Amino acid sequence: MDVTRREFLKCAAASSALMAIGGPLAFAATEQPVDKWVKGVCRFCGTGCGVMVGVKNKQAVTVKGDPNNHNGGFLCLKGALMTPIIYAKERLTQPLIRKNGELVEASWDEALDLTASKFKDAIKKDGPRSVAYYGSGQALTEETYLASKIFKAGLKSNNVEGNPRLCMASAVGGYVTTYGKDEPCGSFSDIDAATCFFLIGTNTSECHPILFKRIAARKQSDPNVKVIVVDPRKTNTARIADIHVGFVPGTDLAIMNAMAYVIIQEELDDYRFHSRYVSFMDNKKNKLTFEDYKKFLEDYTPEKAEKLSGVPAATIRKIAMIFAESSATMSLWCMGLNQRIRGVWANNLVSNLHLLTGQIGKPGATPFSLTGQPNACGGVRDTGGLSHLLPAGRLIKKKKHRNEVEFLWGMEPDSLNPKPGYHTIALFDALGKGKVKALLILCTNPAQSLPNVNKYREAMARKDNFIAVIECFRDAETLKFADVVFPAAFWCEREGVYGCSERRYALIGKAIDPPGQARPSVNILVDLAKRIGVDPKLVPFKDSSDIWEEWRRVAKSTPYNFWGITRDRLRKESGILWPCPTEDHPGTEIRYVRGKDPNIPKDYPKKYDFYGKPDHRAVIWFRPYKGAAEEPDKEYPFVLTTGRVIDHWHTGTMTMKVPELRRSFPKAYVEINDKDAKKMGIQNGDNVLLTTRRDKMVFQARVSDVCRPGLVFVPWFDVNLMINKLTKDAFDPGSKQPEFKICATKVSKV
Amino acid sequence: MISFSSVWFRWGKWFIILPLVLIAILGVIFFIYVNLAFPETRCEFVTHLESPDAAADCFECHLKCTPKIAQDWYESKHGVILVKCFVCHGQPDGKGSVPYAVDPDVDGTCRKCHDPSINRMEHLYGLELNCNKCHPFHQNSLHHKAYVKPIAKKKIE
Ligand code: SF4
Repeated sequence: MDVTRREFLKCAAASSALMAIGGPLAFAATEQPVDKWVKGVCRFCGTGCGVMVGVKNKQAVTVKGDPNNHNGGFLCLKGALMTPIIYAKERLTQPLIRKNGELVEASWDEALDLTASKFKDAIKKDGPRSVAYYGSGQALTEETYLASKIFKAGLKSNNVEGNPRLCMASAVGGYVTTYGKDEPCGSFSDIDAATCFFLIGTNTSECHPILFKRIAARKQSDPNVKVIVVDPRKTNTARIADIHVGFVPGTDLAIMNAMAYVIIQEELDDYRFHSRYVSFMDNKKNKLTFEDYKKFLEDYTPEKAEKLSGVPAATIRKIAMIFAESSATMSLWCMGLNQRIRGVWANNLVSNLHLLTGQIGKPGATPFSLTGQPNACGGVRDTGGLSHLLPAGRLIKKKKHRNEVEFLWGMEPDSLNPKPGYHTIALFDALGKGKVKALLILCTNPAQSLPNVNKYREAMARKDNFIAVIECFRDAETLKFADVVFPAAFWCEREGVYGCSERRYALIGKAIDPPGQARPSVNILVDLAKRIGVDPKLVPFKDSSDIWEEWRRVAKSTPYNFWGITRDRLRKESGILWPCPTEDHPGTEIRYVRGKDPNIPKDYPKKYDFYGKPDHRAVIWFRPYKGAAEEPDKEYPFVLTTGRVIDHWHTGTMTMKVPELRRSFPKAYVEINDKDAKKMGIQNGDNVLLTTRRDKMVFQARVSDVCRPGLVFVPWFDVNLMINKLTKDAFDPGSKQPEFKICATKVSKV
Repeated sequence: MISFSSVWFRWGKWFIILPLVLIAILGVIFFIYVNLAFPETRCEFVTHLESPDAAADCFECHLKCTPKIAQDWYESKHGVILVKCFVCHGQPDGKGSVPYAVDPDVDGTCRKCHDPSINRMEHLYGLELNCNKCHPFHQNSLHHKAYVKPIAKKKIE
């Protein structure tokens, strides 16, 4: 009854509007109610907002936030404008094969057989190390698990990598070295309880908008909540900050050590906590003492840090005191710390501050690493989709772990390849040197997203290698180098699970059918594996829910316990946080605390248990300050940093399909500090040439005070102005994650 | 003899046409004058036609042509968390994915984020097709006090 009245009212309103303005637009305002709502998760960032897809006449016509998920029904601008992407004219609907330099339409059998034969040939001729898989933090959990299994178990090749190496590897390294296990100890719900936010190396406002909203709302609800933003750029995130700390890019390691110095000097450390639950270690893994730590920190007095970082010593003192004195401090960080040659160290240093002050394991007090992609945290890190990992936190180089997985996968003991595969940069390097002959790329766009991309585009362009790509859009840059392209079902066109930043796994329901001949990637992978000759017993999967069942079994006996997260529960509930050992377990918001973390026995004698470490103690690492791989000098005096704008996501293959988002930022630009601009006579809109040791490119200038002097920023979404041609491919020796965030550049007006 | 009706017949239409032409000429002169004298206060319609590929960067121009509205947005909750103009209003040339509307459509637009509150309001106060009536989008005092930070209210030049 209500609906009819609503429709009547709307028609009346529409017709009066039509009379008033005229034109066809007035009709657009009368959207009819949809046939059904299908629960899912946003396709974009690591916030992982719950989304309901409105389906009408078998078409996805609108979306709305899922009120039962952590986002409480809210979506950011990208999430709210998702539907046009599904129906973009660039969608791939048929397999393509490169013939005489052109990608031409082909049948599924042709494309699959060709790919299978190329993989078989490569393995026969050059061994399993000559084939590789390059996946994505945007693929479904099931897809990554399956691909990893096909390559590691089926083809005996550990060359299983993915773009999370470019995005989260340092966070993994940080968590594993400090706590022994990957993934955050806290959850998003800590935001509602925190009294101090320490945001470092994250532009939360533009990259995780709904989390930023939650932080802002927390701040609004209690004016005593402090927000500290540590970022060389004064981004929109800094708008709600009590203190914005701008610093010389790359010197944050010194700042955090100086904060630790102040905390100890002011006796704000929690001795009871760190004497019971923390061990101290230097870079050589020598066990040391608290006294040694104090001695180590003497090199990092706030005054010394000021000289390096340009941050006044008084400011460092102040933020250290706020950090330590607040009742619950939550740190959030993202690519600013991860995409660095000392990314792991930077991650360790944040945890150091929390372990020193005991700001951990209490509601609101937690070190929380944000993930860039919707399923890097979950799907790739947890399922072991990297070249050194096996599922559920197991390592390839550990025999015990290999044997466990062999048993679970029904393989002969010691049949897995014990040698880790190439990490991402090494993989594309090997491709360039002809050591990798056949590569399967799923749901990612390395021809735009790799650092120093010219070099790796050359590698991909080699005539003697074979590249197959599973993609949704025909304009993705990587397709230029593909020999075979498989059209994939997009987002809500197939069912599957995404796991966001906070260990929360949620199901994307199937709302609509894929276009043309496009298929779910899971089916493509299984079909391909069988044709390559992988034992069918290894891939007995009809669809993604079969894989989910196996994944639950494989993870069950580990601290990554998914046993209670059944497919049925996922269909009913809006996301569950692991560890979740039983079907009636509500999920775990806080790890490593007795009574909260199901991995800790109820009668454990202590409150905290860092069970990832053999001595059950987390580690405070002595990590010295070390600069970037390429510091600015006389010839290249500026620091170039890259990042995102809120309107675009990653390489823009999706957001560029939404007219509003495309028109909001049609092309990349360079952001320059106003004082620098004045010195060089650059005005808003002028053309500016950026030159690094690798390449040069012209951008339009945006002059503002967002960047500090000496720093320029370019977003990386634009395929026509590919900033990654200029970035450097130096990487962290531990995590192998490249340093996208810092390289030296020349800036000149043209 | 010339009758009144024949005079009217010969010259009368000019009494209508001439003033109209005059108004048009004055209008054009005024338009050119405004454009030249206040280069940054140009007619927004012209801007929309001139650079459709940047039409969604609404704030940039509206800060100059409708500064009150732009500043209100900037200070509001939507402004702080960057829910930009086009999310609710679409594109002026109607080529966006959201229908262009001054008052966003409740079901098509507002519900994307505010479904639970809209249901609550509907339950409390009955059916209303325009949230704007009770929650003026750009003058909402709640919005002004959104995030109590001086910097959030900073005037932008
Ligand atoms: S915050 Fe991220 S996950 Fe949430 S709607 Fe926006 S893009 Fe999607």
